[in-house]
Amino acid sequence: MIDRLRGGGARARVALRRVLRVARWESSRAAGGVDRRTLAAAVALVAVAGGVVGVGVATGVAGFDVDRDVYRVGVDPASPYADAVAADPSLRAVPAREAALGETTDATVITVVAPSSDGPGDGPIAAARVDEVVVRATDTRKGAAAAASVREAIEAHNERLMRAEPNETAAFPLTVTLRYAERSGGPADGPTLGGSGGESATGGDGATGGESATGGDDATTADGGSAAADGGSDPAGDATDGNSDAGDTAADETRDTAGDTVDSETEDTAGDTAADEDEPGEATEADGPAVPPVGSGVFGADTTGSPSSITPPFPFVSLLLAFAFLVPMNFLIQAYGSSILDERTNRRGEPLLVTPLSPAEIVAGKTLPYAVAAAAATALIALAVGGGALSVVGVLPVAAAFLGATFVGAMFARSFKELTFLTVGVSVLVTTYAFVPAIFTNVTPVALVSPLTLVVFDLQGEAVSAGQTLFSTAPMTLGAGLLFALGLGVYREEDLFSQKPVTRKLLDALAVRLSPVTASEARLSRRRLRALGSVALLTGCAIPFVFVAELLAVAVLFALPVTVSVPVLLVTIAFVEEVAKSAGLYAGFERGVFDRSDAVAVAVGVASGTGFFLAEKATAVVQVVGLTDLFLGRAAFADVAGLSGHAPAALAALLAAPLVLHVVATTVAAAGAVRGRTAYAVALALSTLVHAAYNVGVVSLG
Amino acid sequence: MGSRLTIAGRELAGLRAEKTILLAVGIQLFIAAFSSFLVVGLVSMYDPGALDGAEIEVAAAGDAVDGVERAAAEVPGASVTAYADAGAARHAFDRNAADAVVVATRTDEGRIATAVTAPDATVETTVVVVQLRELLRAHELNERAARAPHLTEPPLPLPERSEASPYFAFTYTVLIPLLAVLPVFVSGALVVDSITEELDEGTLELLRVAPVTLGEILDGKAAAAVAIAPGQALLWLLLLAANGTSVANVGPILALMTALTTLVVAVAVGLAAIAPDRRAAQLLYSVAVLALFGGATAMDGGPANAVARLAIDSADATTGALVAAYAVIAAAAYLGVRRVVVAEGLGR
Repeated sequence: MIDRLRGGGARARVALRRVLRVARWESSRAAGGVDRRTLAAAVALVAVAGGVVGVGVATGVAGFDVDRDVYRVGVDPASPYADAVAADPSLRAVPAREAALGETTDATVITVVAPSSDGPGDGPIAAARVDEVVVRATDTRKGAAAAASVREAIEAHNERLMRAEPNETAAFPLTVTLRYAERSGGPADGPTLGGSGGESATGGDGATGGESATGGDDATTADGGSAAADGGSDPAGDATDGNSDAGDTAADETRDTAGDTVDSETEDTAGDTAADEDEPGEATEADGPAVPPVGSGVFGADTTGSPSSITPPFPFVSLLLAFAFLVPMNFLIQAYGSSILDERTNRRGEPLLVTPLSPAEIVAGKTLPYAVAAAAATALIALAVGGGALSVVGVLPVAAAFLGATFVGAMFARSFKELTFLTVGVSVLVTTYAFVPAIFTNVTPVALVSPLTLVVFDLQGEAVSAGQTLFSTAPMTLGAGLLFALGLGVYREEDLFSQKPVTRKLLDALAVRLSPVTASEARLSRRRLRALGSVALLTGCAIPFVFVAELLAVAVLFALPVTVSVPVLLVTIAFVEEVAKSAGLYAGFERGVFDRSDAVAVAVGVASGTGFFLAEKATAVVQVVGLTDLFLGRAAFADVAGLSGHAPAALAALLAAPLVLHVVATTVAAAGAVRGRTAYAVALALSTLVHAAYNVGVVSLG
Repeated sequence: MGSRLTIAGRELAGLRAEKTILLAVGIQLFIAAFSSFLVVGLVSMYDPGALDGAEIEVAAAGDAVDGVERAAAEVPGASVTAYADAGAARHAFDRNAADAVVVATRTDEGRIATAVTAPDATVETTVVVVQLRELLRAHELNERAARAPHLTEPPLPLPERSEASPYFAFTYTVLIPLLAVLPVFVSGALVVDSITEELDEGTLELLRVAPVTLGEILDGKAAAAVAIAPGQALLWLLLLAANGTSVANVGPILALMTALTTLVVAVAVGLAAIAPDRRAAQLLYSVAVLALFGGATAMDGGPANAVARLAIDSADATTGALVAAYAVIAAAAYLGVRRVVVAEGLGR
């Protein structure tokens, strides 16, 4: 036993040494490929472009206004509205006398001036004389959009005017304190429900206190107001502060991870007020929740300011910064894909194959420098944008997915041209999969399917539990590992140096993982069972990719109205699952791993369907984060949901139904796969229909 | 001419055989579908009024509640119910009878303080907050108008609200330029691959024993790449037109795309000629194109903005001149690069 352990340790050491040797060789080659001159040239290019843009933006000549001058607006240059139009980049002013609506302009601003003793003069019109304004627009979508832009431009102009106004009370008569609260059920709301309303009206005083502290500039009001308003920093107001308000504030403060000094003060307030009231117990409860419930606190601090300074909780800046992590990956995978494909052209990789190194060691060694580079780049960006270790933990699975997908792409590609397309495809897919869920970071826990959501949380300064981190990173890491395993299977001489269409390469890679199933063999021989087990395993491994495909399908079909998107989605999902279950079987028949007989088809069909069913049930963890709360999510993951709260018999039936479905549908597809390509396509369509019909049934029953 | 066409045909046949061009079209289709997901998703978060029936119910209280009620009458998408006191309003919120609570009180300084409570961390939060903002802005305008005599410079009267589709501007200023410009990048990458691959495998030497000059080989490869990008752009514009988005100035847009592709191909040929291998060439190419387009987009009359203005039919004489200028620059760049490469020869 100890000997064996020692032997294993020695082997691991040898393997590690070999991997490192290949990695050293690869990085020296990569450094040779991208020599210093190339690198210097690239840096110089970026520096020049960055400098030009930077100077342009700084001097106001340039700006990333993609909508610059898209609407033409006729306006009298003497009118005060000319300034408003000129200040909006998307509007181009056309002097009123040249303006012809529908030809040279999309909208015309008509300034109606109150009649005055001066009569119409040629000089500029004073703003005070403007009686009203009419915007006449063409009767097109563009005209309507132009008119809306004009209104926005005038609103922005007024806002600028008011900011310069000395009489602040008249310019900004309204102050708003926005806070987020959970509906009853959360203990934080206890005192609110119990508290009588009389005093809580004066709770507004807290807001006023905050506002008056920051008063002056509108910009600072929006930013700095929150702490002051929260704390009710005006001590005089504390005595009259209503119970409900204080309770709320305390609850809000305990959620605030910033943990500023106002915290203790606020809790004191809550305690004091509660003591005055007749329900002290509930106030203590309000102090209670030190640990935020899942999903709350996401919205960060409250905001105070004028109404226009209220912003919906959308993590725009954090998202933009999170995107910065993905940029270097695109360059990295180009170099990595080139390196892998380089081995395959002109049989360059042959000498490496005849060494005692195993394919896994070669691939690990070749990948290591790029993985290290990705980690280094991620760490650097994290330092630059103020992210912590969590950001790095979140980005690394994405980097692994980029590398894994590129590895498979480079193993399948026939030429550099094909690799370019595959690389672009990989970039687009992985980027959207990582980025799009992160947009919904503050909205729904489903966002955690993307590890990038962790980065957004990290940049927002939110705490993330270990479970959430695991949920977010594990699937993508697993997927990347499976991709490497897929490519590794064909890292051998007969596949490495041959050129085939990508689909045929994929079939090869799948068939490698299967063991022969023959028609003559005993039905339950151990060898046969093991072979069928490998079929089930292969299908089960497809689950992560099936989920990715289904999520992307949900996103892509999102734009359609629900009446269209749900049926299309159900069929798409059925198709994706049927392909996932039967592609391996088709590969087995085509590559001669399975005997072409109906008995074998039934055996492998049952095995594949069962493998899929088991793997899908294993992912019931999806339920934990409430993915099934979404309507579209429910359609996609119907089989996983709704298992709790049923009698055992009903539960068994609920479990058996999808199993039967998967087995039957896959057997149909397998029967087609035996008979060649056309028959497989027909059988696949048939099994998709069966599956879709079942899905429709489940959704309409549920 | 014939030999150039032969080479261009060979390039295109290679792409067709690999069917990779289908992947490129598939990627674009995916991006287009995805952008509509993004735009509908994001716009409906920011501008819920665009969605039918997105109306929020606000529970209001406080001594200045009448102003909130008045504002609600002017704003579509928000209705206000007054409650006797803040506790009652909050109770309505807690039992889901209201989406938000607004408590408006007059302060000693003559302002109105509004304490707003919105639901925490739910899908509808953004919608609620956006509608609340509209409501409170209307309220602010009313109050400001009432105090106008105290202002040194009164705000300008606003025109009527107009019903505009929020997707309109996005479609023309982001989606169409993006879909038009993406094939341009891919075309350049193809040229880099095509040249470095021939150098790598030594097939360029074989080609050179045929009666063609190096210039003709470059022309053929460039022609194939330049032909693809405007073709793909046209495909997109047709798809959009079929989808009900009318695109103006299709001719000038395609001319602009051809010019841009030529420019990018010139960069690609130059880099493929000087870079030591494919990896270096692709890296330099990506950086150069990013820098080129990033810089150009930031400038007045950048390609993305030019496409947007052409497509939305806001082009004027300067836009036409811009397209011509791009064409001249592109032709000059390609001819210059070709001349240098023919003189210096390909290879390291």
